[in-house]
Amino acid sequence: MATAWRRHVARVAAGLNPLYAAGAVFLVVYAQVFANSYDQRVLAIAGIYALLVIGYQFVFGHAGALSLAQAAFFGLGAYVTALLATRLGWPFLVTFPASLGAAAALAALVALPVLRLESHYFALATLAIGQAALAAAVNWESLTGGSVGLGGVPPPSLFGFAIAPGTRMLVLIWGLVAIGGAVAWLLIRGPRGLAIRAAREAPMAAGAVGIDTGRMRFTLFVLGAAYGGGAGALHAHLLGVVSPEVLRLPVMVSCLAMTIIGGRTRVAGAIIGALLLVHLPEWFRFAERYGPLVYGLALLATIVVAPDGLTGAATRLRQFLWPESPPPPPEILPRAVGLFHAPAEIDLKVIELSKQFGGVAAVREVSFALRGGEIIGLIGPNGSGKTTILNLITGTERPDGGKIVLNGEDIAGWNPHRIARRGIGRAFQTPILVESMTALDNVALATHTAVTAGLSYPGRRLAAARAEAASLLGGLEIESSAMQRWAADLPHGVRRRVEIARALAARPRILVLDEPAAGLDEAERNALRTALRDLAAQGMALIVIEHDFHFLSGLASRLICLDAGQVIAQGTVEAVRRDKLVEAAFFGPTAGADGAP
Amino acid sequence: MRLIQTNVAMIALAAAIVLVHPASIGPAMAQTATIRIPVLVPLTGPLALEGTSQRNGAVMALSNPPAGVRLEYEVLDTGAAPETAVNALERALARGGVSVIVAPIFGAQMLAMLPIAAERRVPLITISGTAQLTEMGNPYVFRFFPNDSVAKNAHALYVVEALGKKRPAVLFQTTAYGQSGRQHLAANFARLGATVVFEEGLDINLKDFLPALIKAKQASADALVLQLHAAPTALLLRQAASMGLSLPIVAGSAMHQPTTAALLQPAERKGVCAESASSPVSSVDPAVERWVAAYRREFGAEPDDFALTQYDGVRMAIDAAVQGARGPEEMRAALASRSFQGLAMAYKSDGVGNMAHDAIIMCYDDQGRPRIDRRYPRLG
Amino acid sequence: MSAIQLTANGLALGASYALVALGFVLIVNATGAVNFAQGDLAVAGGFLTVALAGAMNLPGGVLLPIAMAAMAGFGVVFAYLAYFPLRRQPPATVFISTIALGIVLENGANGLFGAAPRLGPPLLPGGPVELSGLVLPRQSLAIVAVTCVAIAGLHLVLMHTQFGRRLRATAQDAEMARAVGIPVGVMIAWTFALATGLAGAAGMLLSNQFFVAPGDGTNLMLKAYIAVTIGGWGRVWGAVAGALIVAFFETIVAVLLSQSAAEMLLYLAVLGVLGLRPRGLFGETIGRRA
Repeated sequence: MATAWRRHVARVAAGLNPLYAAGAVFLVVYAQVFANSYDQRVLAIAGIYALLVIGYQFVFGHAGALSLAQAAFFGLGAYVTALLATRLGWPFLVTFPASLGAAAALAALVALPVLRLESHYFALATLAIGQAALAAAVNWESLTGGSVGLGGVPPPSLFGFAIAPGTRMLVLIWGLVAIGGAVAWLLIRGPRGLAIRAAREAPMAAGAVGIDTGRMRFTLFVLGAAYGGGAGALHAHLLGVVSPEVLRLPVMVSCLAMTIIGGRTRVAGAIIGALLLVHLPEWFRFAERYGPLVYGLALLATIVVAPDGLTGAATRLRQFLWPESPPPPPEILPRAVGLFHAPAEIDLKVIELSKQFGGVAAVREVSFALRGGEIIGLIGPNGSGKTTILNLITGTERPDGGKIVLNGEDIAGWNPHRIARRGIGRAFQTPILVESMTALDNVALATHTAVTAGLSYPGRRLAAARAEAASLLGGLEIESSAMQRWAADLPHGVRRRVEIARALAARPRILVLDEPAAGLDEAERNALRTALRDLAAQGMALIVIEHDFHFLSGLASRLICLDAGQVIAQGTVEAVRRDKLVEAAFFGPTAGADGAP
Repeated sequence: MRLIQTNVAMIALAAAIVLVHPASIGPAMAQTATIRIPVLVPLTGPLALEGTSQRNGAVMALSNPPAGVRLEYEVLDTGAAPETAVNALERALARGGVSVIVAPIFGAQMLAMLPIAAERRVPLITISGTAQLTEMGNPYVFRFFPNDSVAKNAHALYVVEALGKKRPAVLFQTTAYGQSGRQHLAANFARLGATVVFEEGLDINLKDFLPALIKAKQASADALVLQLHAAPTALLLRQAASMGLSLPIVAGSAMHQPTTAALLQPAERKGVCAESASSPVSSVDPAVERWVAAYRREFGAEPDDFALTQYDGVRMAIDAAVQGARGPEEMRAALASRSFQGLAMAYKSDGVGNMAHDAIIMCYDDQGRPRIDRRYPRLG
Repeated sequence: MSAIQLTANGLALGASYALVALGFVLIVNATGAVNFAQGDLAVAGGFLTVALAGAMNLPGGVLLPIAMAAMAGFGVVFAYLAYFPLRRQPPATVFISTIALGIVLENGANGLFGAAPRLGPPLLPGGPVELSGLVLPRQSLAIVAVTCVAIAGLHLVLMHTQFGRRLRATAQDAEMARAVGIPVGVMIAWTFALATGLAGAAGMLLSNQFFVAPGDGTNLMLKAYIAVTIGGWGRVWGAVAGALIVAFFETIVAVLLSQSAAEMLLYLAVLGVLGLRPRGLFGETIGRRA
């Protein structure tokens, strides 16, 4: 146990950018040896902002949502601490958690209506929360002291020690930055980090492998708010006063600028961004009233020079100074992993399923059943409702009527991730991958460890998830060199198989594929057909949309032919192929008999 | 009696120093004595207008030192937030040798700076009106501006006694200045037996004052009392003139600022009165007229009361230095005990750091020119 | 009487919000980026007209096109500073670069012109207009008229000229526009010029009607942002309607309750509207961005 821990620490140390390590040492020496009380105060404020920004990275960086409410959480934390400490005389050990909790509670309260909004609507809604909080602080004079604010907030007192501004306060603040940074770093590492990225960059794909993107956004938003509340509490203690200035737009702008200047997702970025942007205006004080102008120019110049943040620049610099060898090929699990734990029983019944789009019936009372080991081929002309049926079964669309009963449970209208967790996996008509990840990680993110980790898992099983992913990709005959390439660079045929591997990684009982053979060459088709047949032989059930009778003829145990949203024929491949109605649907009433489109 | 004893002791001390250090004998010592007075005021942000006046007034005093002291100063912007002000304070203190500090007009910033000043034992001289600042028992704050309880006493007295109005409507800004002013207006009106028939807080960014004006009129107010910043005051007066509102208007100190008056046509400011500590541009005192001319030469701008009172405050500190006060503690003692005849008025601490006790009401005449209408000396 | 004056004031205020919001929408459509300095650009336009009026004795009707042209030229400089170096970056990066330039503009105005509010030149000489017994401030009418002309002109340019078609093609799909030979970079620079010219007009009208001070930009920007979003992100007419709704909402609530209530309720109403209609009151035409 101890050696494992030591090995872990060693690995972490090896992964640390030496530039950051040197910076941290410099900072400690500077703060302890050279800094006067002014320097220490500026450093303390930088620490407070670092905490605020680490929290903001959860929302803006990891959830990818441009929230403009972080200053509101910061301000709320500050006011809660100020009120509890001055009016009720409560100690730091109570007020600090209270500030955290109040901010988190406000976030949870507003999350419900706000989190479902898209991009700019979300930004405005969060801005409105911030402005409403500001208006409350200004106008509710009896509670908040109005625009003058509340004075006399005592320094925090811990175990009988009063922590006055100075070295002690600096240690408290930066100690909390260290703890907060470590917690954030642990939370976003490993397979969970992959899942968070998938939820941000390809939410449809994330939902299809069972990742609850809604809950993830909620958790990240609330967590970020809690950090903001904690930072606000420290701000109140450091300054001794709270005024509505903590809720105004400049605080929010600074927070956002620090995140972009430092880096959106790296803890080091939050710290670097906060340190730089808190010090910049101090350096430009010589310019008197032109100080903010010089600050604005410096901010602009930094963004133009390092648009992906200073941590991005530091990573490039590190690559330049100490070039890294390419990562070793993934180790494949020695034993052939049970891809899906022998699905006990599969009994899917689709009963009179219907869906309308703007008054047009896309699917009309479609019924069929599916059991383990079966492969159903879904055919029909374009616009006959094939993909809609898959979308209804996987939860991407909600049915207007009918039932989808999986092992006795009606799953119609459930969210995609719930359905995925019940064991229905899917691949999309056009593969949806997280383009900024390797093929390997695209599959690793869907493994059981990643999906079910929630936020409670410390995150050390990335290697295991990758090994599992590697064996799945290998099983679909993807070279290990291709596994290490960015998804965006992969050829079409590989993308399709990566997506199927991703669906398999979530250990489905039923696999739903939308034109899996489209765009594949002959060899790839045959390999795919063999792989799908093997899956069915192991007890999995499959639904495959396909235009190509040849591809289906050696594969599907049954065909269902759709036309205009209705089932027009059902049966074996041969029987359906000879059906007059099918012929008419595919080739028009007068066309000849044989052949695939 | 005690004063004399202190003086005797100080003379004895000075004699002792002269005897022990023969090199420091004579005027050479006084010549080299350096007094550091950092000027920490808002030069940017929403209070930049008032802060710049503060700066100019302080700089005028600091750049023309009398014989006997050498002055050293730096100007630091305190911006909009308490945080920036405290950083500026720490920065100024870190350089050491500070005797006294010119501190910002913004009450929230002062509130954050006060505990640090007390801890480091450095006096702050400010022109912030926020009454709270001198109510906390902090011996290091000196306010060279009538605090709100004085200024709003004059404001209310003028409305009730000079104008004979008993049903005022109060419109105030939802800023530190406006909210603190409103509180004291309400108390003073109540004391004087007037009923505030309508009261509303207005955001500093508000552009449309008609709703508030209409409601004040509907409440059958007999006078309009304002506690608003410069641009809102001017905008309100303009909109009041355009809707033909005929109520007498007594504005807050922002209306005495020449920059505010310049925004309005003479007809729009005609008959409007304003409370202030002084009005340098309408003074007939030759000393003030000379000062106004010098200010215009130096800054190319019209001086206001904030500049003049801040000038007076710094002059009093310099005067104390000339009289021998050196370090911050001596400076505090001098500011707390002496009296000083400034250009705007005479200053003397009331024991908690309020130095200014006079207020005036000025009114714009039919040609829109400012005239001092009434003086309220020795209030509070 | 008071109802009519309230309406005139609300219209004038809404019209000036609308001019700021229009410029904002043009840039959003062309680049997908939020220009958070749009309010500060209007303030810069205001100070520019103050300076122009001080330097030369020209009537407002002549100053307006000069100010708009000068601001349009500055808009191109603005684009080359804040947008073009970052055009391949996510929209939030441009958000911050425009905020940085907004800080520069605000403090540049504070440094050059001082912190005191200033009075801009009038568009039309003379006092209020009497219209069948009603006294209406001439400048309020002028603001509304200029805004109407600007909107109509913009509509004509966008819908009925080759230039406008190219501009719209760029806004809809830059890749496709480039593929059919439209110089996308030039079109975007023109968009910034147009948007900033509108901000210049807004600045001149506002500086006379409501004065201009260095810090006024943020509040204008907030109102324009609300207008554009509840009007349906990217819709020109939605932005104009949104601006008028914001202005009248503020006026009406201020009459019925109080000004601080109006402020609070405006933001709560924004939350309510988005809760009920997640894509604003008037939907959304362009696809998802950001």
